[in-house]
Amino acid sequence: MSGRRLDDCLRLIGLTMIGTVICFLVVPIMVTTLMAFDARPYLGPLPPPALSLRWFSRFFSDDYFINGLGTSVELACLSVVLSLGCGVAIAVGLDRMSFAGREALTSLFLSPLIVPPVVTGFALLLFLAQMGVINGFARLLCGHIIITIPYTIRATLAGLAGIDRSLTEAALVLGARERSAFWEITFPLARTGIVSGAIFAFAVSMDDVSVSIMLTDAKTYTLPIALISSMRANFDLSIAAASVMLMLLTLALILILEKAVGLNRAIGQGVFR
Amino acid sequence: MAVSMPSQPGAVVEFRDVVKCFGQTVALDRMTFTVSAGETVSLLGPSGCGKTTTLRLISGFEEPDAGAIEIAGESMIGKRPYERNVGLLFQHYALFPHMTVAENVAYGLRHRGWAKGEIPARVAEMLQLVQLEGFEARRPAQLSGGQQQRVALARVLATSPKLVLLDEPLSALDAKLREQLRLELKQILTSVGSTTIVVTHDQEEAMSLADRIIVMNRGRIEQQGSPDEIYMRPRTPFVAAFIGRANWFHGHVGKFLGNGLAQLVTTAGTQLAIRYPDAIQGASFSACVRPERIAMGGPDASAGDPSDNLVPGKVVDVVNMGAELHYVVEGNDGRIVVVEPNRAGPRVRNGDQVWLRIRADDCVALPRSEP
Repeated sequence: MSGRRLDDCLRLIGLTMIGTVICFLVVPIMVTTLMAFDARPYLGPLPPPALSLRWFSRFFSDDYFINGLGTSVELACLSVVLSLGCGVAIAVGLDRMSFAGREALTSLFLSPLIVPPVVTGFALLLFLAQMGVINGFARLLCGHIIITIPYTIRATLAGLAGIDRSLTEAALVLGARERSAFWEITFPLARTGIVSGAIFAFAVSMDDVSVSIMLTDAKTYTLPIALISSMRANFDLSIAAASVMLMLLTLALILILEKAVGLNRAIGQGVFR
Repeated sequence: MAVSMPSQPGAVVEFRDVVKCFGQTVALDRMTFTVSAGETVSLLGPSGCGKTTTLRLISGFEEPDAGAIEIAGESMIGKRPYERNVGLLFQHYALFPHMTVAENVAYGLRHRGWAKGEIPARVAEMLQLVQLEGFEARRPAQLSGGQQQRVALARVLATSPKLVLLDEPLSALDAKLREQLRLELKQILTSVGSTTIVVTHDQEEAMSLADRIIVMNRGRIEQQGSPDEIYMRPRTPFVAAFIGRANWFHGHVGKFLGNGLAQLVTTAGTQLAIRYPDAIQGASFSACVRPERIAMGGPDASAGDPSDNLVPGKVVDVVNMGAELHYVVEGNDGRIVVVEPNRAGPRVRNGDQVWLRIRADDCVALPRSEP
């Protein structure tokens, strides 16, 4: 009997913890979203007496933010493309390797996940200064490729891991060169993994502060950097508006790509063995 | 310049002293065999016997450490898989999941340089051969195991390869379907007249599909011959034990009975007449008898032929397999399995005393396999 009571008790604790975590995840976002539509020209207590889009129009009329947004989007797109290119190539190489160093090499390529981003940023700043790279955008691009590449490599590796080796062998025996076999068999089958790697890479790049803050210059800065420095100077709710838009952008991206990948999966009956 | 041995005329595949090692393990130990045009040969053996390595060497996924491999008289050393005209049917079919049935079958044609205009007709022809007309637009995941198997076969045969390799072709199917597809497979392979190598660990698959069986063990050929020879005249204890069921009698050569017959005196003292022209007095050996070659009779049984052996025993188990009955008979030399067709009439029951009649010609004399 007492064992059963203990079970009930543990279940209750579990549910409470889940509830608490959900609260901490969701409530701040809800508050931010609500405040972004606050009609008052100052930061007042909840709830706002009236709603308006004033903070959104304030955001868009501020060149500082718009400049940052432009850089962020440009940077995110470019670093996704480049990191995807390198990441897929590296993952395919790692996947085909069979020697003992494979694990070590994989860990090395995934190390930007473990090294603190501030360290990565600072080390890169020093290194690029030594190399004579002083262009802010180039520095940011280097940094963003480094922090996004673990995601593209890992997602591609996951995509490749699900592909039966005999599929490639079947293509070769049927007369396809290694190159054709890769583009016609391996690549389409790993596409789900590659696409999810791209989504992660984009989100990481759009979101990054720690590495970017080391690599910006006066003219080239990303949206998160712009938000932080503006918050230091004069705290107002256009930051809340920007946060809402960032969230919507990420959400839209995930929905679009999920739909694209999901649709594809539906056609293939979801069994890409 | 090294003088190469002349290749055997008419041979589609020729292995000469092929050696393949993986690290310390010798997968193939000077393997030599040929396959003639139009022949279906089965490589049969337990896992790790080297049969899969042989298959991978022929298809070009592995390179031999030593020896020569020729296909249609041409050396295959250093040739990539796509430079060999070989078809391989994978154990789990390896159909491309993101392509339709038609695209799968057309894949080899596209890469083997068929004219674009001729491909659809050839695909239709192949799907007709495997009786899958109307399935062109389906994806592999929408097909049953047997249908996938047939698509894979159509894909292999589409380019008319010089040699077709089948890797455990039926093992992924359930028992009922296996039997049906075995017949179909044999029919299709015969109708296109292809030269075929079937790699399998399943003796039924080998016996039913092949004209010739090569039994492999530990990277070497144990014996090769027609299915009947392999089954009825095994030359090593391994072959006798691996293929079909076998009853064993262990002992030494007693007296000679003339007419090519020798007497086996078993360790339990039973005396058996066995056809063994090469017997040496006193030499120890084993005799193997297939269960279906033993006739069972009541206590009044008598030898039909003077050279027939009569061995007493007691039935300790009867297993009804439907089509046949398996009797386990406890005799002086251990348990003997007897298989008889499930016919109408009085049956031997559990606990009955019986006499087993074993013809001298049905006993195969082999080197002693165990004490």
